[in-house]
Amino acid sequence: MGKAGFFRFCLLEVNMDYQKLLELQERCISDEPAATTAWCPIHIDVAAFNMEMEKGDFKKAYKVLEKRMPFPRLIGMICDHPCEQKCVREKIDRAISVGELERAAVSYGCAPSKKALSPPKTSGKVAVIGGGISGLIAALELDKKGFAVTIYEQSERLGGRLWNYEGKCYEKKVIEEEMQTVQKLGISVNYHYRIENEELHKIIEEYDAVYLGTGKWEKELQIDPQTFQVGGLSLFAGGGLYHKDNSIIYSVSSGKRAAFSIERFVKKISMTAERGREGSFVTPFDYNLQDAVPAERVEKSGDVYSEAEAIEEAKRCLKCRCNQCSKGCSHLRRFNMSQKGYAKQIYINENVIMGTRYANKMINSCAMCGLCGEQCSHGNGMEDIIRATRESMVEKGKMPVSAHDFALKDMEFSNSDRFFLVKSPPPIPKEKLEQRERELFTYPRITFSNYAQSLYKGDKPGTEKVDYLFYPGCQLSASYPEYVDKTYRYLLDNIKEGVGIMLGCCGAPADWAGRQDLMKESAERIKNTWLEMGKPTFILACSSCSRVFERYLKDINYVALWEIFVRYGLPKEAKKGGGSVLNVHDACGSRHNKIIHESVRKIALELDYKIDELKYTREKTKCCGYGGLVFYANREQARDFVKDRMDESSKDLLVYCAMCKDLFVEEGKRTYHILDLIFGEDMEKLAAKKMPNLSERHVNRAHLKQKLLKDLWGEEPEAKKENTLKLIIPPEVWKIMDERFILFEDIEKVVAHAQNTGERFFNPENSNYLASLRIENVTYWVRYEEKEDGILVSSVYSHRMEVAKE
Amino acid sequence: MKEEHSQNLPWVCDKCKKELVLSKVKVSYLGGNFEVELMKCPQCNTVFIGEELALGKMLEVERGLEDK
Repeated sequence: MGKAGFFRFCLLEVNMDYQKLLELQERCISDEPAATTAWCPIHIDVAAFNMEMEKGDFKKAYKVLEKRMPFPRLIGMICDHPCEQKCVREKIDRAISVGELERAAVSYGCAPSKKALSPPKTSGKVAVIGGGISGLIAALELDKKGFAVTIYEQSERLGGRLWNYEGKCYEKKVIEEEMQTVQKLGISVNYHYRIENEELHKIIEEYDAVYLGTGKWEKELQIDPQTFQVGGLSLFAGGGLYHKDNSIIYSVSSGKRAAFSIERFVKKISMTAERGREGSFVTPFDYNLQDAVPAERVEKSGDVYSEAEAIEEAKRCLKCRCNQCSKGCSHLRRFNMSQKGYAKQIYINENVIMGTRYANKMINSCAMCGLCGEQCSHGNGMEDIIRATRESMVEKGKMPVSAHDFALKDMEFSNSDRFFLVKSPPPIPKEKLEQRERELFTYPRITFSNYAQSLYKGDKPGTEKVDYLFYPGCQLSASYPEYVDKTYRYLLDNIKEGVGIMLGCCGAPADWAGRQDLMKESAERIKNTWLEMGKPTFILACSSCSRVFERYLKDINYVALWEIFVRYGLPKEAKKGGGSVLNVHDACGSRHNKIIHESVRKIALELDYKIDELKYTREKTKCCGYGGLVFYANREQARDFVKDRMDESSKDLLVYCAMCKDLFVEEGKRTYHILDLIFGEDMEKLAAKKMPNLSERHVNRAHLKQKLLKDLWGEEPEAKKENTLKLIIPPEVWKIMDERFILFEDIEKVVAHAQNTGERFFNPENSNYLASLRIENVTYWVRYEEKEDGILVSSVYSHRMEVAKE
Repeated sequence: MKEEHSQNLPWVCDKCKKELVLSKVKVSYLGGNFEVELMKCPQCNTVFIGEELALGKMLEVERGLEDK
């Protein structure tokens, strides 16, 4: 990437791109119905129905039917369940017995429906010819819409085909009761009134619209399949006249749909607008059956399922809806979000002018790991949206300061003099030089040029050409300074071309925090170093670094340390695993880097470990909960990520990112870092070894720098200013320091200030002192006692609110 | 935002050797300014903020302001 391109990239999308949010909302199909619901002509929510059935809550299940099904006591018993043809279970075993479950719901959950209020009849008047299923339903719907309805029924009773099932599916009494409700509504019924073609014309004249539901008619009618209108007249027809197959549920559907058309017709509204999803349709979502376990269909032992049988059968239902993204993501699950819902929340949050931005915490709890994007078959994914949202929040000054403050200060530390370092390769020790000369003698043609170069490499950055630059990253150096040291020595020993070293932070925290200003600064620092050193290949040991390099430093070639180990061979001292089985937890930062996936596995296999792949692995790996700075912004959410992964893994984990190891071990999961396998001694201890706390992570980095300088370049560190305080920190205080993001060095400053100025409070009851000091944007408080052997710290806390000085 | 149990506070200002008194104090965060009653030294005006207050009500107000 050229410089101009680099800047353009960094300045990209400072403002939220709402178009992208809308596109994501449109593409997300999380609210699309299950195949059965879409195919049901009256769109019963089959998944919701079965969810209640499975709980044995037949009353609630019945209510789900009632929502969309008129006369559920009757229709529910005789529904011809065309939905079953579309049940996805059919692909693995057999469809759910929805029809039988409906009957069970009516049998065990039927409750008298609330008396519907009949609204004033101001919409117009409609005649319904035929009091069978579709006619009754049309009449009922029209009554609800405020039409004065008159039914013309040729026989002495309403119900038509409903009577065919008397004594088989329900008793006579039930039909009579249900039919009475029709009349109670104020629908007038003319019994023994047969209308034929001739009189139909008169009726059409007399009423605003007419519905024909007679099952048969003297002549063929041209019925519009969408509106059920007949030949552009005020006449509508459905039921058996339209559906020639005697389907009960399609008669219900056409009665309802015709009533809807009649309302539009009378009110002179478009007859066709927004009606694409009436009747049976095919859902655009294809349920992923990967996790579905085959289960035999429950057969009924009597006329109707017993309660227990119904519950068992309902359990087979997969309750399909598209949740591919949240299935893999503890964040989406914690906030109960689909990507569609998430995009809406972001939109609202971004547009709050006065008031609370309720979605801030959610937006800062996404690991930005990219798994949702991998899972979605419709090309959605939250990572870029979250990044843009966080950048927009920062831009507007609306990013909660406390969310990322500690992580950004940690990054600042890593890029300060205390850790930051750039060095060309150290001078080669005499004995190694002699060895190389021997090699040179043996293989002059192959090694001469590289060898000759390596002899003249200087010890100052930028003065000589360096082929490789080892960049271990900030967190590996904090967790494992000794491994970084060993690795660098390994690289110096094994790679004849010069290997320099650079310590610092790549800027990942800034990228996650939406701080493009700091990200840009960090990327420029790396890029300038790279140019000054003659464009060496970076050797990266952290997947977050590799993600940053791929996004912001595309010009720089990098190779993962793990690939180097494969290429140059493992150190001879590396212990063998003796066939132990490990679950590899790939790092989310390098989910698309197949070379890294393979290298890590090759190393483990070579060391005699066996690998048992997790379900979510390689490009579909999960985040440990550190990504996106979730660990700092929402500790409970971070813990969810860890627990989720632990539930999936039955073996010891193998990771290759320092933070993954930290987080898993913290929750008690035995975990090896790949460098544990390569350089570790006591493997049993290493798997459960607690990682350094936040304060030690600073110290480790600072010491690493000093140690490397001293051992390899013979440079003594500058004399550190003497601290005369001796602080005693009990274990429980160390724990709360980490929970509250308070460092040892903060405490030192507070106590030193109090001891020097005398500004502190004293509690004569227990001889405790309490002191405070504002450091940057935080006020730290330390409670302590002066003991003979030092200062015993008993508590620490902080706040961001500032007290005005008098 | 009031210091709990302010009446029974055992702490004294170590520098001035004075008992703390409840007074109106100005606090601010992210551009929001409030006047609250807190314990402070009547002589040097150093304000006492206890753990319970800092991690309770004060934190709540901070979070509330951060989301505004």
